[in-house]
Parts: sequence; C-alpha cells; structure tokens
Amino acid sequence: MTKITNSKVQRKRLNHYAGWKYVVLICTVLIMLLSAIPTIYGEDPALQINHKQDQQPALHVLKQTLEGSNIAVKRIDQDMDKTTIVLTDLSTQTRAKAILEATLPADDDITLALVSAAPSWLQSMGLKPIKLGLDLRGGVQFLLDVDMEPVFNIRAQQLVDNLRTDFREEGFRGVRISINHNNSLQLNLPTDEAKVTLLKLMHNNYPQWKVTQSSGLLVEVGIPQTEKTDIINLTVQQNLQTMRSRIAELGITEAMVQRQGEHRIRIELPGVQDPATAKNVIGATASLAFHELETVRSGSMLVNNNDGIPIRIARDAILGGEHIIDARASVGEIGAAEVNITLDNAGGKKMSSFTKHNIGKPMATLYSEYSRNADGSTKKTNNIISVATIQAQLGSQFRITGAGNMADAQELALLLRAGSLTAPVTIVEERTIGPSLGADNIQNGFSALALGLGLTLVFMALWYRRLGWVANIALIANIIILFGLLALIPGAVLTLPGIAGLVLTVGMAVDTNVLVFERIRDKLREGRSFAQAIDCGFDSAFATILDANITTLIIAVVLYSVGRGPVQGFALTLGLGILTSMFTGILVSRALINKLWGRDTRHDLKV
Amino acid sequence: MTININNSNKKKSNNYSQLRYISSAVSVVFMLVAIAFLSINGLNWGVDFTGGVITEVQMDPTITMSEISPLLQSALNQNVNVIEGGEMGRWILRYAEPTTGIGIPDITEVLAPLSTNIQVLNTSIVGSQVGQELAEQGGLAILVSMLCIMAYLSYRFEWRLASGALFALLHDVLFVLGVFAALQLEFNLTVFAAILAIIGYSLNDSIIIGDRIRELLILKPNLAIADVNNDAIGATLSRTMVTSGTTLMTVSALWLLGGEPLNGFSVAMFIGLIVGTWSSIAVSTTLPEFWGLNARHYQVVELKKGGYED
Repeated sequence: MTKITNSKVQRKRLNHYAGWKYVVLICTVLIMLLSAIPTIYGEDPALQINHKQDQQPALHVLKQTLEGSNIAVKRIDQDMDKTTIVLTDLSTQTRAKAILEATLPADDDITLALVSAAPSWLQSMGLKPIKLGLDLRGGVQFLLDVDMEPVFNIRAQQLVDNLRTDFREEGFRGVRISINHNNSLQLNLPTDEAKVTLLKLMHNNYPQWKVTQSSGLLVEVGIPQTEKTDIINLTVQQNLQTMRSRIAELGITEAMVQRQGEHRIRIELPGVQDPATAKNVIGATASLAFHELETVRSGSMLVNNNDGIPIRIARDAILGGEHIIDARASVGEIGAAEVNITLDNAGGKKMSSFTKHNIGKPMATLYSEYSRNADGSTKKTNNIISVATIQAQLGSQFRITGAGNMADAQELALLLRAGSLTAPVTIVEERTIGPSLGADNIQNGFSALALGLGLTLVFMALWYRRLGWVANIALIANIIILFGLLALIPGAVLTLPGIAGLVLTVGMAVDTNVLVFERIRDKLREGRSFAQAIDCGFDSAFATILDANITTLIIAVVLYSVGRGPVQGFALTLGLGILTSMFTGILVSRALINKLWGRDTRHDLKV
Repeated sequence: MTININNSNKKKSNNYSQLRYISSAVSVVFMLVAIAFLSINGLNWGVDFTGGVITEVQMDPTITMSEISPLLQSALNQNVNVIEGGEMGRWILRYAEPTTGIGIPDITEVLAPLSTNIQVLNTSIVGSQVGQELAEQGGLAILVSMLCIMAYLSYRFEWRLASGALFALLHDVLFVLGVFAALQLEFNLTVFAAILAIIGYSLNDSIIIGDRIRELLILKPNLAIADVNNDAIGATLSRTMVTSGTTLMTVSALWLLGGEPLNGFSVAMFIGLIVGTWSSIAVSTTLPEFWGLNARHYQVVELKKGGYED
C-alpha cells in the first residue's frame, strides 16, 4: 500500500519543475541579457570639461572649433558645471583635447573619458558596458617599484645619530655604532653599564626597534618584521595616494592606480598613446625640503647648486615636502618664474617658528630626485635649486623664486603639488598598446568567438538532434549570462586572454549537456522510457559534472589570485564560464527538457 | 548466459587492454622525448619572464628582415631578435633593455632610413627582476593548484585511481612543454595560462573516466579491473570525443582568427587538448591497474566487530 502511494508520488514528480523555477530562470536570463546589451553598443571616446558654474562654454562654439579641425562630434551634453563632448573617433580624442585646452579658459579642467554609447534608458538603469582591458582598448601600463631600502636606511641613520647624542649625554665614551647591510644596527659597547643604559634607552625612547642579538658587549638592534610590514604598507599607501593625484594631473578619467604585491604599484592609463608625458610625471620622483645653511662639518652635508657650486647645509630639514598642500607656477613681479607654495597647518607653524628667529638668514631649497641606475640600484641626486634670504616671518604661504624658466617652474610645481615621496619609485615595467592594435584584438577575439560558437551550435544540432537544440539554447543562455555577469561584477575586466577563455568556455560548456545526453542514451538503450531516461540521466551525471568542473574551478581560482592583468582576465572568464555552464547545462536544459519531453513515454526513439 | 557474455567481453577486452598497455608505453616514450627536448633545448622564455623589450612595428611590406636587422643591431649595440608578425610588414622586435646610458631609443628614428612611415603598434618593457618574480609566482601557482587538486582528488577518489589522473596530467603538461621546447616557440604569460587550463582539462577527462570506473567497481565488484577499465573507457568514449571535438573546434577557431597575440595560447591548447584526450583514454587507467586497484577498494567496509574477521 505504502509502496504504491510512494511510486505514485514519484511518478507525479518525475521531470517536473515547479512554476516558480521557470520564473526564476527566465528572469535571470532576461536580467543578464539586459545587462549584456550595453556592451554591444560599446563606448564612445569623450572629453569632459569641468568648468565653473555659469561659465559654460557655448555649445555651438565648441562644435565649430572641433569640426573646424576635422574632428567629428557626435553629441555634447552640458550640465551646470560639466560639459561632455562625445566624439566618434578615438584617434581624435587627444588632438581634440589639445585644441580645447588652447581655446578654453585655463582653469577649465579637460579630461579624456569614455562614455557608454547605449541608449539612455539603459544607462538610466545603471547598466554599463563590460570594462575592457588595456590590451583591447589601447593605452599605457606601468608597473612601479617602491624601493623600501632608503626608507629603512634613513631610519637606521636617524637612530645612529640619536643614540650617539644619547650616549654622549649619559657620559659614555667609546661606543661604536655601525649600520649593517640589512639596516640593523651593530653596537660595540665599552662597559656593562653602557649596555644597561642602551637597553633602557631602546625600551623607553625607541620602541620601534628591538634587540635582535646580544652577546656580551656586542648588541644588534633591528626593526621587527611586523613593524617593517607596517612601514611598508604605510609607505606604499602614501605612494598610491601620490600617484593618484599625479595621474589626476594628467586628466585621464579611467586611469587605474592599484597596489600589486608587497611593494609594487600598477598604473593603467587607457587611451594614452604617448608614454613619455605620463612617464615624466610618474617616473620622476622628486621631493623638496627646506634646509638651513651650515658652516661647521658636523650634522651637515655638501650639496651642489644649479651652477655646480657646493653649498653646506644642515642634514636635518626644517621642513619636508610632505607638508606642501599646493604649489603653483606663476610669473612674479620682476617677470621671473616663481613657484607659490601653500603649506599645511603643521608645516606652516614649523616654518613660522623657524623663520621668526632667522630673518635675514639664507634658507636653501633642496630638490632630490631619484632615478634608477643601469645596474638597477636607485640613485638619489640632490640639488639645491635656490638659496633665498628669509625676508620676513613666513607663514603657510610663501614663494620660491629661481627655479629656472616658466616650464621648469611649472614642472616643479606639478611635482610638488602631487605631494612628496619618501621612498624612491621606479618604473620596472612598461607596456604600450596602440589603439589600432586594441581594436584589432577585439575584432580577432570576437570573430574567433563567433566562429567557435557557430561551429559548436551546428555540431550539437547535428549530433544530438532534438536534444542538441536544447543544448544550443542552454549554450546561448550561458553566453548571455556570462556577458551579463562580466558587465555587472565590479572590477571585472575583459582582456584578450579573457576572450580566449570565453572561446574555450563555449567548447567546454556543452560538456555538461554531453554528459547528461550520453547517460540518457545509455538509459534508453537499457530499455527505459524517454522520460525515465531523462530523469536517470540527469541524476547520474550530476556527480560527474561536479567532479569534472571543480578541478578547473580550482585552477581558475589559483590563476586569478596569482596572475595579474590579462591572465587574470582569462582566469575570470574561465571560472565564471564554468559556473554559468553548470547553471545553464543543468538547470536551464533540464527545465526545457522537462517541458518538452518530461512525460514522453516512448521507448524506441533515437536521440 | 552470464558466462557467455563474460567470455565474449573478455576476448574483446583483452584486445583493448593490450592496446592500452601499448599506448601507455608509447606515452612514456613521448614523455622521455619531451624531457630530453626540455633539458637540451630548454624553453624559449618570453619577455614576460626574462625581462627585456618587445616592440611591434608596422611598415611597408616590401622591407625585408635583412634590412631591418643591421640598423637595429648597430643602434642598440646588441643582437636584436626580429620576428615576423601576424601579417606582411608587421615585425616583432625583441631585445634586452639597453644597460648603458640613454635608455630605449625611438624605433621609428632608428628605422627612419628604411621608411618614414613606420608605426609602432605596441611596446613592452619588462624589468628583469619583474620577469624573475613572475616566473617564481608562476611556479607557485602551479604548485598551489597541484596541491589543491591532489587534495580534492584524494578526497573524492581512491589514491590508486587518483594517481592515474595525475600521471596523465603530468604527461600532458610535459608533452606540451616538450613541443614548445622542440620548436622553440615563445613561452609567454598566455601560454602559461594555457598550461594551467590544460591541467584543468586533462583532469576533467580523466576524472570522468575515473568516475565511471568507481561506479562500475561498486556496481560489478566481480569484474576484473582490466575489464572495468575497458568498460569505463568504452562508456565514456563518445562523451570524451564529443567534448574534445567541440573544444578543439573552438580552439581551432581561436587559432585561425584570434590573431598573433593568442597564437601561443591556441597552439598550446590545441596540442594539450589532443594529448589530454589521448592520455585520459590511454594512460590514466593503466597506472591504477598497475597498482592493483580492485573492487575491494570501493566496497563499503563494515566496522570490525569483536572476533568476526575474515
């Protein structure tokens, strides 16, 4: 009795999906389709002009100016403080920017941008096209290395100076201190009391440092690894910030500045064709500091000025460049170029209290630039760019003259404005992809995808006949969902290897269906009805599908976490492809098959 | 009747088994040859891994390599690798980052005597340290993924069965690397990605056969292991062929239309798919058999009860 009811229940449920499942499936596919559509329209190159309110440039003038220079304008949108000029051709973007910069008021900010070309109703839903990687869009990519060596070296040097003073004050003589190659300190102490004093000093005054080794009167102190990691993180963060503001100076809206690994920074500048300008701004790491002039040797150093004359200045700066908020080049009263500097509050106070007691004395402006030697080591070049007499008590605003001509002053101001760097940064990798090559790559990648998809669809339809069509619908749904997801997931970038991953996915996605169909064929051969075969086929294939896909998923996850740039794009599409193909291959095709043949009790049919 | 079927099966399966053993031996020979190529020729590491400069230029198709090379050689003071690009007039120039002085010269200026219309399509400059780090990271990636996969396999499969899949995987990767070493094709980052994808694909194939073996071992515990293997391969053969076929089709499409940057990737995938299919059919089942895999390894073992043991 019980048995019969059970089998009845089973029969009733065989190959049946509840109505809500269909609703969910259809909605998913539709939403993904909607999200994928803007990608088809792509993006248009544009210029964005940020201007003051009520100072909008006249639209017809803009249009005439550009069209007069043979630059086709697609559309111009104007808000209160922003005008967006949409162009038709990417290659005219840079030229258009130069033309507008010459005609518009100087304080208008013009940036290169890309805007979605999709109809506004799609854009108003917040749907955006898939972000393209540099290899598809063209542009410049830099990898910067933040050299931590000098940072630690400076700290070690500071500690040496401080300890020497401390020991002198405590009345110990004969303390020998040297810096090891790993920037730890080696102390050779004269007496046991000196050692006790040292340990007390270290504990009270320099908690950052720890005694790493101690045998008799030989003591080694260093910065512990956790502390070092903190310092590295802080330094790289500061550099990231600096790079972001420097890049902002270049006026590229889509620029990306990102930390990579422990001490690397990756910068992507889509649309930039000439790496030289960007490189000058990024690569030159300059810092500025104000120093007192010295006459005695101790605690001082000799630095050449612009004319090669050595000048003795105090080693410790009055004020470092990190206090600089703003720096602007302008033409001074006597017609010479000058840089107007604004300091932050703390910097202003420091400057104020120093200059108060030193009016009439000279102050040197030390300009340091880091560059990389042929052998890969970083070189610091010091240069005194000006020695000026302090004319009055300076506050948080003052100016430096004598920085050279207007162009020099402008460059200096730009670098200063972007902030100061304590760790030298050098370019260790540089890639430039021309826009035509990027377009070629898209063209090639997508025609390969189209051909691969076409071949697979034809093959499946021929090989599995009616079931093949189901697999084909599932495959198309798979592609739609994949594109939809790529557009939706924040940070997802489509690269050329990413397209390769898509093409590969197309070939492998049918596997899920193939596994099921082969099982169904088996079951039919065993003499079951079509409906039963479908039920058994899906059930028995499921474990296999899971097993087979998880290994590739593991690979994709590892590749995504270790890889970067284009390869990360590959890992992304490969991994997403596996997930979506399992979704469509199992759920979507089952839903279709259930509706079509879920009650089909024929035994003698070929699939 | 049962005896009959078994007999006829046996005859056939003996043939299949022999075929499998022979092809396994062939595969081992392939692996040895691949290792020989790898150790003699070595891989032609791309700029991604070695560091250096790659510039792709487009110029008048009538200009030949013998005109380009000397100009670059003298300007850069080193041996410049000039490789034909995807189409006529497109060249890929590869050289080490100049160690002295002024940095990288403007290629259009260097080649100006040949033509004034030279277009630099892309340039990559990779520091040697970065390349080295990338190579280390890549090695780490392979190691980590192998560990994860082994952990998964040992969780899902008996070790004897898992060893077969791993052996097939090793075979596939070695074979593809061997081909790259023998033909001195450039091994760059996308090829590396392809190698990892091949690992995934190779396992995928082996696992599906392994799944069947497991199923059959549980279902028909009395069948000889060689027959189980043959049956499992037979049952999955059409699936293996269809999936390999569709994937091979799409990879061919990529090879055909994907353009120069994806060439290495497509070639690696193409070879990897073929050997991956071969190895999962021919090789992956032989090793478990060799280790003496049998149905007992997949039987539900009853917990020992005091005194009852056979």
